[in-house]
Amino acid sequence: MNTAPVVPAVTTSPSASFLLWLLLLVPLLGGIAVAFLRDAKTAKLAALGIALLEFVLVIPTWIAYDPAGSRIQLSSSMDWIPNFGVHLALGVDGISLVMIALIGLLMPIVIGSSWADKLPEGRSVGGFYALLLVMQAGMIGVFAATDVFLFYVFFEAVLVPMYFLIGRFGGPRRQYAAVKFFLYSLLGGLIMLGSVIGLYVVSGDKLGSGTLDWATLTTVISQESQATQTWLFLGFFVAFAIKAPLVPLHTWLPDAAAEAPVGVGVLLVGILDKIGTYGFLRYCLPMFPAASKDLAPLVLVLGVAGLLYGALLATGQNDMKRFVAYTSIAHFGFIAVGIFAFSSQSVSGAVLYMFNHGLSTGMLFLVVGMVIARGGSTLISDYGGMAKLTPLLGGLFLVAGLAGLSLPGTNSFVSEFLVLIGAYPSRPVFAILATIGMILAALYVLWAYQRIMHGPVRGDALLGALKGPGAVAAPETATRQGIKDLDAREIAVLTPLVVLIIVLGFYPAPILDVIGPSVEATLHSVIPLGGN
Amino acid sequence: MLATVLTAQPVPPADKLSAPAIDYGAIMPVLIVLGAACVGVLVEAFLPKHQRWPVQVVLSLATLAGAGIAMAVYLGDESTPKNGVITLAGTLAVDRPALFLWGTLLVLTLGALLLIADRSVEPGGAFVAEAAIRPGTIQDRAQVAGTGMQTEVFPLTLFALGGMMVFTSANDLLTMFIALEVLSLPLYLMCGLARRRRLLSQEAAVKYFLLGAFASAFFLYGLALLYGYAGSVKLADISNAAAGTDRSDALLFGGLGLLVVGLLFKASVGPFHTWTPDVYQGAPTPITAFMAACTKVAAFGGMLRVLQVGFESTSWEWRGVLWGVAIVSMVIGAVLGLTQTDVKRMIAYSSIAHAGFLLIGSIALTDQGLSGTLFYLLTYGFTTLAAFGVISLVRNADGEATHLSQWAGLAKRSPVTAAVFTFILLALAGIPLTSGFVGKFVIFSAALQDGMAPLVVIALIASAVAAFFYLRVIVLMYFSEPAADGPSVTVPGAFTTASITLGVIATLVLGVLPAFALDWAGSGTFAFQ
Amino acid sequence: MSAVLAAAAAEVSTGEAIAFWVLGPVALAGALGMIFARNAVHSALWLVLTMLSLGVMYMVQQAPFLGFVQIIVYTGAVMMLFLFVLMLVGRDSSDSVVEVLRGQRLWATVLGIGIAGLIVGAVSRSLTDVPVENLQQQNAGGANVNNLGKSIFTEYLFPFELTSALLITAAMGAMVLGYLNRHEKGMKRTQKELVEARFRGEYERPSPLPGPGVFATANSVATPALLPDGSVAPESLSRLIDSTASETFSDEIKSVAGTEPGPDAHALTPSTKDTSTTDTKNTEDTEETR
Repeated sequence: MNTAPVVPAVTTSPSASFLLWLLLLVPLLGGIAVAFLRDAKTAKLAALGIALLEFVLVIPTWIAYDPAGSRIQLSSSMDWIPNFGVHLALGVDGISLVMIALIGLLMPIVIGSSWADKLPEGRSVGGFYALLLVMQAGMIGVFAATDVFLFYVFFEAVLVPMYFLIGRFGGPRRQYAAVKFFLYSLLGGLIMLGSVIGLYVVSGDKLGSGTLDWATLTTVISQESQATQTWLFLGFFVAFAIKAPLVPLHTWLPDAAAEAPVGVGVLLVGILDKIGTYGFLRYCLPMFPAASKDLAPLVLVLGVAGLLYGALLATGQNDMKRFVAYTSIAHFGFIAVGIFAFSSQSVSGAVLYMFNHGLSTGMLFLVVGMVIARGGSTLISDYGGMAKLTPLLGGLFLVAGLAGLSLPGTNSFVSEFLVLIGAYPSRPVFAILATIGMILAALYVLWAYQRIMHGPVRGDALLGALKGPGAVAAPETATRQGIKDLDAREIAVLTPLVVLIIVLGFYPAPILDVIGPSVEATLHSVIPLGGN
Repeated sequence: MLATVLTAQPVPPADKLSAPAIDYGAIMPVLIVLGAACVGVLVEAFLPKHQRWPVQVVLSLATLAGAGIAMAVYLGDESTPKNGVITLAGTLAVDRPALFLWGTLLVLTLGALLLIADRSVEPGGAFVAEAAIRPGTIQDRAQVAGTGMQTEVFPLTLFALGGMMVFTSANDLLTMFIALEVLSLPLYLMCGLARRRRLLSQEAAVKYFLLGAFASAFFLYGLALLYGYAGSVKLADISNAAAGTDRSDALLFGGLGLLVVGLLFKASVGPFHTWTPDVYQGAPTPITAFMAACTKVAAFGGMLRVLQVGFESTSWEWRGVLWGVAIVSMVIGAVLGLTQTDVKRMIAYSSIAHAGFLLIGSIALTDQGLSGTLFYLLTYGFTTLAAFGVISLVRNADGEATHLSQWAGLAKRSPVTAAVFTFILLALAGIPLTSGFVGKFVIFSAALQDGMAPLVVIALIASAVAAFFYLRVIVLMYFSEPAADGPSVTVPGAFTTASITLGVIATLVLGVLPAFALDWAGSGTFAFQ
Repeated sequence: MSAVLAAAAAEVSTGEAIAFWVLGPVALAGALGMIFARNAVHSALWLVLTMLSLGVMYMVQQAPFLGFVQIIVYTGAVMMLFLFVLMLVGRDSSDSVVEVLRGQRLWATVLGIGIAGLIVGAVSRSLTDVPVENLQQQNAGGANVNNLGKSIFTEYLFPFELTSALLITAAMGAMVLGYLNRHEKGMKRTQKELVEARFRGEYERPSPLPGPGVFATANSVATPALLPDGSVAPESLSRLIDSTASETFSDEIKSVAGTEPGPDAHALTPSTKDTSTTDTKNTEDTEETR
């Protein structure tokens, strides 16, 4: 290597690069402003306005991105800490663009769904929405950063609002869940910090002066020896595996998801966890191709283990939020298998799944939240026959569930199918095991649906919520004062998700087109070494 | 230099002595501080009691400002040599690291002094009116209600500061030893001057004094052995002697070991930390802040110089031992910190863990190690200063409410205090966008560059463990319901507000825009002569 | 050893040799006396003798500064402080012969022999192997006192000046911790106020505490005063200082109480004998619990 810094090929449409800064700054500054709003209604409206503005900003960003263009687009960079070669550098490729779009899409929905939430006593509404918006900025930063240091900063910074969101606004065991979440993530983050510093030092040895620019590092580090790569890979991998979460490191997710408020839970499983799988794609594969290839069997085993384990535990869950969390763990196992099968179909499928999972599981979480809002209990055994009282809610629960079990015609089916056909040629055993996971998914989703929605009206929560004469004795005919079906707000929140689930189930091309070249480029760093 | 002239050719008795050359410009900050301390003593002697406090406050603040200006003038002067000057017959080395440490000490002392001078948080200040009155007597109960204080703490603080400044720039071990005593003695004294819980405070003072005297003895013994080894107390001479001679290694390493034990004690590195929690807890909080911030700066400044100037050539032999010490310190700090129920003790254990991190930087004998450790000292000093400033605000009828259970639900009583303390704790945990993170980054990258990867991994795990007890406080403050008879948060006066603001803003700025401080910390290395 | 001494003696002048052979035995005698003296004060005085002789020996060997420091610091300051404390505590308080730590004597012997071996080894090596360096230089230009003064005011000027900061701090610290403004209102009562307060019952007792016992054999603060019935007056004892064991005064106690055995009509009666043995046992017990 010569000592001249490698010039990253990133400069298409620099004129639109301000869009990323806007995407980052709008929710950040908006969140800070919302924190100072005393009136609850104003705060909600302001937050919703900012989230919608953010969504509107995503559209020109999507248009400005040229799938046929260079690897990283809309990039911009300025010096931050020159002593470490750290830059404030933003840019997107297809994968991160899709994730940013998902954030922009989910955020108004999350705010809309939290509209009627009763916060624990004494907590300020403004604070809740401010934290949500700040977290949105952090998540966009994670996906838009093209400097490893900056990525790390956002990676850690996201923890703080999430920690407060769970700890201050969550369920009865929120303290425990918040601390567990924070400690797991922080431990992973600190191990990753070791690798980040390692990258800086190794690149310093190679180039004369260390850098943390992602594009430069991918060219420098991928040439390093196997041992160096493996150590650095492990640092990143542990952090991402905790985040994703892969199986032995997953135990924080059910607690966090169960205790988080519904809207926060959607962000947690819908977006925050994707940072892990995104990290595999963006950092592990291009920077440490040799190590990735070497350790791929390990990750595949963990992925399949998570897939089956998550499915089994989801089947056995009685708590609805934990149920959704375990289905997510299963899905993340699937995504990990797709990424580390190293074929363009499987990786494309995995990335598409990251997007679709945000929609389908996000919707499942929302629907579950609506059920809980009516019955006041999170336990499946407290419900039964609810579809008779709330047919619309029951129907949408079914839609979300079917998307979760990847029924053909829903969006998840396309992605799971791509993962399976992509993985089968090189890793047939894992592909078959993953198929078993799909079957289990049908079991747990339908069984949960059946327990909650079908049969006679029963369950303590449901009966307790019913009012009127003779409600308990004859629930079927009771006046439905206590349990109402979806109101306009809830319908408005769920409609975009239903539409997208079905549209993308038949026509996934817009997303596949965007992610395709980036996936190829990512794989290109692994495949030349012999692929599988 | 003159010293060598003297030893090389003995002057006949008739000759007049010629005084050593003194670069007054370079050492002016030290002279100002020590001179002002003497003036402060005179103020105590000649002014009536009620006038002393305002005069002492003005005098001390003016001293710090004057010393800062003197340093700025010296740094701004074109003729100032870049790689430092050695003055006063080779006893003081005023080089870039020394100047950085001086600047750090002056600013941190400013913050601590503001806390010391505050009389609004605790009516009359955190210091006892008459230390000679025995605790628990009728007179003692009478004086609690009064508003007087022992204004001697101001000159004592300045003496301690002077000692610290000399300590960080001492070029020979003898000067270093005397500076060590000059900085320690006022601290021993001030530890025992708390207004509340006086027995605890006096116990802390005695404990600190006895253990400190013990550590000084270690240092002195090491000094003697090294003098026996090298025939000189100058660091450079010891280094030269150690490079390729057939002298007895037993003297060298015995001396180094004893010397380092003394230094590690002052820096409260585990396993030489046993005094730290008790003293931090017992001492008046402003003094704890002063000790935690400034003593650490001085001790590690001295240690950096001793290791880098005096013993770099023999690093192969001693580095393994200090590896072990760093690990022990991090583990003790992180693990024992988990079990603490008192906020001050918790911060004390956190300081022990941080001392372990600092030691990692100190034994990375590279320019990065030096600049990283200097930067970390700066950041840690500000953060810990603000931490103790906030701790002094949470009070109940008996004084400070430092038990953790009393902090429950603090966010509800005082959102601003809770937010500030949360920020400080996150900085101590090393979350990005705080100075603690950048500090960890520089130290760990220096350590990795110097081939200490296992140590870095252990340090990262220790930081994760330590993060748990910081989090616990945040959980208590934000997620718990406040106790019915909980403490109230005092609205601080201008002095304490200024001090906490200084600490918090520095923590934020050094976390977001650290480049200028990193440049400054890396602007030069130790002078070797 | 003797050969080395003889070789060294070849260079010493007669006067020095005489001084050595006078002072050496004196120093040795002082050291032995210090160890074997039963009385603590005597022991300390023996040590003074040793230190004085060592000081003179330093001076004879052209180290006048070291000699004077030895006399001023060790003999003058340290030993006098020792004696002062001993006198205060009671010059006749003797060591307890009870072994508190098991195997203490054995270990003390082993370690003592060990350290003696180390010292002998070090001294003999320094006499044989280690060359003398720079001695001429140190003593040039007058004597080493002059050179020392020179280095204090040139080479070590700064540390020397810095010690003044230390002394100021120490003095101020002593003032802070020790000085009480007794003239301030409410600080200290006048004698009149004090008497009134005492009789008003603000203090435990109206009169001062009884002083220590004054006997022909002992009069230190550690000696308890005896009440007319021969029992120890507890108030005469300081809480801070270990008292002299009361059995030391058993004779006085008996004579005061009138229980001294008379010239023997009942010498063979077992009862008196028994009580006396139980008595001593009791005092021993109390001694131990104390």
